[in-house]
Amino acid sequence: MAIIPGMTELTRPYWAAAGEHRLVTQHCRGCDRIWHPPLPRCPHCHATELDWRPAGGEGTVYSYTVVEHATHVAVADQVPYVVAIVELAEGPRIVANIRGCAPADVSVGMPVRVVFEQVTDDVAIPQFVPAEGDGG
Amino acid sequence: MIRGKVAIVGIGQTEFVKASPKSAWELAMEAVLAALADAGVDPAEVDGMCRYTPPFEPVSEPMLVRGLGIRELRFFSEAPLGGEALGAVMAHGASAIVSGQASVVVAYRAMSQSVGGRFGRADGRPGGADGGTHIVVPEEENRSFSWPYGLMSPGQLFALWATRYMHVHRLSEEDLARALGTVALQQRRYANNNPCALMRDRRLDWETYLGARVISWPLRLFDLCLENDGACAVVLTGTERARALRADPVYLLAATQTLAPYREPMGIYTEDLLELFTPAAAARLWQGAGVGPGDVSVAELYDATSFMTMKSLEGYGFAAEGQGWKYLIEEGIGPDAPLPVNTHGGHLSEGYIHGMNGLTEAVRQLRGTACNQVPDASVALVGAPSGSAVVLAR
Ligand SMILES: [Zn+2]
Repeated sequence: MAIIPGMTELTRPYWAAAGEHRLVTQHCRGCDRIWHPPLPRCPHCHATELDWRPAGGEGTVYSYTVVEHATHVAVADQVPYVVAIVELAEGPRIVANIRGCAPADVSVGMPVRVVFEQVTDDVAIPQFVPAEGDGG
Repeated sequence: MIRGKVAIVGIGQTEFVKASPKSAWELAMEAVLAALADAGVDPAEVDGMCRYTPPFEPVSEPMLVRGLGIRELRFFSEAPLGGEALGAVMAHGASAIVSGQASVVVAYRAMSQSVGGRFGRADGRPGGADGGTHIVVPEEENRSFSWPYGLMSPGQLFALWATRYMHVHRLSEEDLARALGTVALQQRRYANNNPCALMRDRRLDWETYLGARVISWPLRLFDLCLENDGACAVVLTGTERARALRADPVYLLAATQTLAPYREPMGIYTEDLLELFTPAAAARLWQGAGVGPGDVSVAELYDATSFMTMKSLEGYGFAAEGQGWKYLIEEGIGPDAPLPVNTHGGHLSEGYIHGMNGLTEAVRQLRGTACNQVPDASVALVGAPSGSAVVLAR
């Protein structure tokens, strides 16, 4: 049983990009700022001319928790799993799991890079793994 | 300004139990009738009502109006954001009274988690099925960006805060456990002396606390609140009427709401995750109340987790930013501490009525009728973690 994001007009481009293994954030053509999660207008200059800007996929762990007690049947077979707030190098923060290492090896400030996890045939979601080398 | 113009004249509650055979409707009726009886006010006189928004609050105004035989409401309002409604319903009710929109306002909260779904579980909440194989998370308040990652319940969100707190303020795991355990153990001791508390007969020691299973690291079982059934209600009226009704009205000095971008409860995209509400909100609370943290005799701080009790001590100005953990370890929150906190046992050990049982406890403290009475209590703070709060005085 996979948990997949419901998509709205506002959020579909984000997930569509993820489906093509691209990480994007919403971007204002008026004032050149980016943010996440998506909003109907730029929260800074209120422009409606928005597009989606590719993110480099590098970031650091802003905070995390190791979930040891599942609160939903759909994740019962996944515990323990790491949920993190990842701060992208470009600034915005996104929620993701940290894959590719033991929960005990995760730390705040740890450099990570995006990977894409296919949750169904049609849907892929951004996830993060430890960045190689000394800090990505 | 509401200071001195409005008072709480009645409080009522049901028993707090794991699973009540009574409906939420009946629980709400029982609590409201008890509060009205305590106030000496006939239900027919109620003309204002404030409640938490649905689906949090399952009992509607029409259900209570017809159920209680209330003649007519001329003011009713709902406050959103879960536990933040705690201060908000008082702010709404007091504003209605001060502006002449209502004269007797009832605020209530009925919990039926055994029937309506446990707050700590995600299963019971809406999520469409996709041919029975997948769960599609509807986009609502950015849930579609968190649920697919298994970030689904309050305890997990509070754990994200706690980890960040450890990192920023350089706490070891042991430091955090000592601070949060101080909260859990002391609140349990208060509950052990409170006949209404769910945990009245259950002792908690350090060994049990530290040995309990981790729910969402770094939070353990006893860092998280209870899930239960029950209801609480309070009756508000203007000062003049309050004095005619009883010798010991409890006055509202201030009642506030606050909302800044991503600072809704459990909002995780805020620039500084650890700033739960703006410093301006706390300043406004104290300025409106005409008193400061140093004047507070007792505080009932919303504790979905022990971490929120700690962080609220900082947010409301009892401990410096980043020093709440040391404050807890050094001073504690017990009867002899500079500030006794959650003297009923709180959500961790008395019961979880979404903050309303902290409000009724504060009233008892100021009347001098609490189980764990703080001697000569004169000013009480009831505060939610995202900054909606009430300052009360006798
Ligand atoms: Zn802009």
